Amino acid sequence: MAINGNKVNPKKFHKNQIPFYLYLIPIAIFMGAPIVYIINHAFKPMDELFAFPPRFFVSNPSFINFQNLFQTAAGSSIPISRYIFNSFVVTVAVVLLSILISTMAGFALSKMKFRLKNTIFEVNNLALMFVATAVTIPRYLTINTVGILDTYWAHILPLIAMPVCLFLIKQFMDQVPDSLLEAAQLEGAGSFRIYWKVILPLTKPAIATGAILAFQSVWTNVETSNLFTSSESIRTLSFYMNTLSGVGTVQGQGMAAAAALIMFIPNLLLFVVMQSSVMNTMAYSGMK
Amino acid sequence: MAGKKVKNPHDKRRITKRRVSEWVHGYLFILPWIVGVCIFFVYAMVQSLRFSFSNIVFSNGITFNPLPNAWDNYASVFMKEINFPVTLANFGLGLVLQMPIIIAFSLIIALMLNGKIHAKSLFRMIFFLPVIIATGPVMQQLTAQGVSTVPMVSANTLTNVLSGLPEFIAAPINDLFSSLILILWNSGIQILIFLAGLQKVPSTLYEAAKIDGASGWESFWKITLPVMRSMILLNAIYTVVTLATGGDNEIIQLIYTVSYAATKGYSYGAAMSWIYTAVVAVILLLVFLLLREKSDKHVKYETKRIVQKGRRWQA
Repeated sequence: MAINGNKVNPKKFHKNQIPFYLYLIPIAIFMGAPIVYIINHAFKPMDELFAFPPRFFVSNPSFINFQNLFQTAAGSSIPISRYIFNSFVVTVAVVLLSILISTMAGFALSKMKFRLKNTIFEVNNLALMFVATAVTIPRYLTINTVGILDTYWAHILPLIAMPVCLFLIKQFMDQVPDSLLEAAQLEGAGSFRIYWKVILPLTKPAIATGAILAFQSVWTNVETSNLFTSSESIRTLSFYMNTLSGVGTVQGQGMAAAAALIMFIPNLLLFVVMQSSVMNTMAYSGMK
Repeated sequence: MAGKKVKNPHDKRRITKRRVSEWVHGYLFILPWIVGVCIFFVYAMVQSLRFSFSNIVFSNGITFNPLPNAWDNYASVFMKEINFPVTLANFGLGLVLQMPIIIAFSLIIALMLNGKIHAKSLFRMIFFLPVIIATGPVMQQLTAQGVSTVPMVSANTLTNVLSGLPEFIAAPINDLFSSLILILWNSGIQILIFLAGLQKVPSTLYEAAKIDGASGWESFWKITLPVMRSMILLNAIYTVVTLATGGDNEIIQLIYTVSYAATKGYSYGAAMSWIYTAVVAVILLLVFLLLREKSDKHVKYETKRIVQKGRRWQA
């Protein structure tokens, strides 16, 4: 039976499972290919990087790309730890704040009644599909006017409001039954208590998905460093990695591969941490 | 409700103390969001709309030079940019083709991952992983090296098969096959959303159906699909939005180059992006109309029928 929701990993292997593996394993190999590629590519020595036809797997793994990367980094005026620190501050701030704001707004839009509610959601939907390029210059002007150019806020504030996040979370909150909230209300819980104790625990999967999206959008973001900052000491790791690999030298290619692996590892860690807490929460959350 | 003259305590228009407090709380909860969106989206979008209706010059701030005709930028997008209408049409068609594939694929994978299999969490991870690297330079390298195409179907065979079709239909299908793997790599979030949805379907429903003699196939159509309807809508919209706003799509690239080109300028690019947004909005509206839940009407009809039946019984 494919469809038997709430039981996680069966204890024993059963021959009923074989057809599933027949489909899943080949597709999984396809899906896993990019990760294998990134790891392999980073360890390729120069001759293999430029080999034609290009090879997928590395045959003589070496650390030469990483060595080049760190040597170049050591030679620059600002230590790489500074960029890492900047990225860390900005990423943590954006993920936490955007999740807080999106869940609060999602709760209000999904479960509360007030005027202009639908208009607000429509505005969000419009923002959702708007082309980012068209708003970069107006955003720059806004940031200039507010006076946060060249500060951490210039990295954080433009990314906090994530329309995709709000949309996902709001749609998930619609699934929380009203009767649960009414019960909580009868027990004397206020709006904030309901939000914190009922809504948040029940929408964990959506929140985690939103967190991953937010993390991705900020961690790999080069634009804010490029446009809204001018001093080197406030820029982020992804920007730095980008400049290193964009030098245009032959070494640059190898360094780009190494940088890609380094940028990818936090993504991977975050997902491993998230997925164990996320995937199975729905089954036990008491939602029907 | 509007037609009734009797005062109804549940009338939505009646302002009670409790309702006012709910409003206040609602606004409080949404206030940070409104502030953020107003500053960084609404204001920026209004500005770009103004840009698109004028000819702007950047020197010591911005000067808005009025155009001889307000719609000039929009007109010249269609008149001068030869590629734009064709690219736009192709993009729309490609979107309409890709979206159902992504939805079907992710639903199937989610169903499988929700079943009883070994090493489930490992598989889940693998299917989600491409998403977290899908952005960035790695993906471009991969596509450049041809990893993203299906090696089994050579381009020639496909062209032969498609040669009977008119060009404007054949081209998107060809594109579709050449980026099939890319499509699959982009369905991680959708799989996650479907999985979360599937786990909420109470297993008692399936047990009851089984006892009544329904096959797995039947319970998929009668239980899983209807329950998942809202998730399908959510995923469809999410898919369209990510495909439409992803950095590597042709139109965004075109808008980017045009916006920063010396000859055409930012206001021209702004006009182009507004046209693009309108097209995406139309596609989203169609998706919404097609997939929205119609159950409300249905339920009302059913209850009415049951009530009538009950009356007949009483009579």
